[in-house]
Amino acid sequence: MRRIGSALSALSVAAAMTAACAEESTSAAEAAAGAHYEYREKVMESIGANMGAIGDIMKNKLPHQANIAVHARTIQLAAGLIESAFQEKVVTGESLPAVWEKWDEFAAAAKATEEASGNLAAAAATGDMAATGQAVRALGKTCGSCHKVFREKKE
Amino acid sequence: MPGLALAGFVAAAGAEPSAERGEYVFRATGGCSCHTNAAAGGALMAGGRPIATPFGAVYSTNITPDVETGIGAWSDRDFTVAMTEGVGPDGTHFFPAFPYTSFTRMTEEDLLDLKAYLFTLPPVSNATPPPDIPLHRGWRAGVAAWNFLYFSPGTFAPEPDSSEAWNRGNYLATALGHCAECHTPRDFLGGMRRDLAYAGTSAGPEGEAAPNITPNDDTGVGGWNSVDMVWFLQTGLKPDGDSASGTMMELIENGYQYMTEEDLAALALYLQSLAPIGSSP
Repeated sequence: MRRIGSALSALSVAAAMTAACAEESTSAAEAAAGAHYEYREKVMESIGANMGAIGDIMKNKLPHQANIAVHARTIQLAAGLIESAFQEKVVTGESLPAVWEKWDEFAAAAKATEEASGNLAAAAATGDMAATGQAVRALGKTCGSCHKVFREKKE
Repeated sequence: MPGLALAGFVAAAGAEPSAERGEYVFRATGGCSCHTNAAAGGALMAGGRPIATPFGAVYSTNITPDVETGIGAWSDRDFTVAMTEGVGPDGTHFFPAFPYTSFTRMTEEDLLDLKAYLFTLPPVSNATPPPDIPLHRGWRAGVAAWNFLYFSPGTFAPEPDSSEAWNRGNYLATALGHCAECHTPRDFLGGMRRDLAYAGTSAGPEGEAAPNITPNDDTGVGGWNSVDMVWFLQTGLKPDGDSASGTMMELIENGYQYMTEEDLAALALYLQSLAPIGSSP
């Protein structure tokens, strides 16, 4: 009986340890998911911030027109990170499950933003403000059409 | 100068309808985007786009000048009655997903110019489905009752004490741009909650939320200035660099971006004069 008793207690200790490990690994997984989410948010926010900066220059006619191309290049570089930033499937925040369900479409949409920001940088470098305005619209359209499918609607 | 302020709203007597002016009217409505089934690759203005309502789906109509399936056989009066009263040439009521509730404010001149423009578009033969509304035959009679409750017909009347720009902005927002149609919550019968006009709704068109566009600092656009609004309506880009979503982007792309800066500034002036409303249900 003693042997059985100690075996049982060993088992229960093992069970308790397994449970503790499982709990620990769940929270570790949650932490990792949270970190993926935080990271991709920052990538997207950097794009938004540079888009907003372009808007500030253009709509207020600030004497920083030469900076537009730099902001556009920054967006282009950040947009090139979207695919890797979203690679890990973490359905949280505003991201819809469609991101991972229609991954190829999502990746193509990110690519379209990358290309459109490259076009904007090129247009801005010529100093042609009409062409720059058109390129800004074209870039904004790639943001909006991707958000339409893959981002939860805000109120 | 109230006299001058009124001038823009009085049709030049005997002026011939102009397709060129009509194109501008068309843009100022948001390019009549609901009449193109863009998601399905439908032809311009050939209709058939499903519009979800709490009562079931309705389908936009074909407003190309096709005689059989479009509006090619419509007289000027057929067109103005449809736009301002929501009644088709055969006497049937349109479902109020079609914003005749707003277009009723349009001037006769703008209406006929718009018709002239639509008649320059390529006619497309496309018969569009009837509303998919389970109330069966009863709903058209229901619309007559609905109109009694919610519809106040009549051309826009400028306020003589307000500036020309404000009146123009009011006309652009209410008669042409029909902003309130999407940005106002609706009651259980689908009527606009007038007390919450422009305060936004989570149950907007096509399942999208329509934001609060009153100048409230917390949930509205109180932090936007006129330049921000004009830029947004030209590009779909908000002050923080975020983009308009879905339907609004489409309206900007097909319509609002082509408006003059002066008109967009007038529209911004009007929207900023609205009473700020804090929250929407």
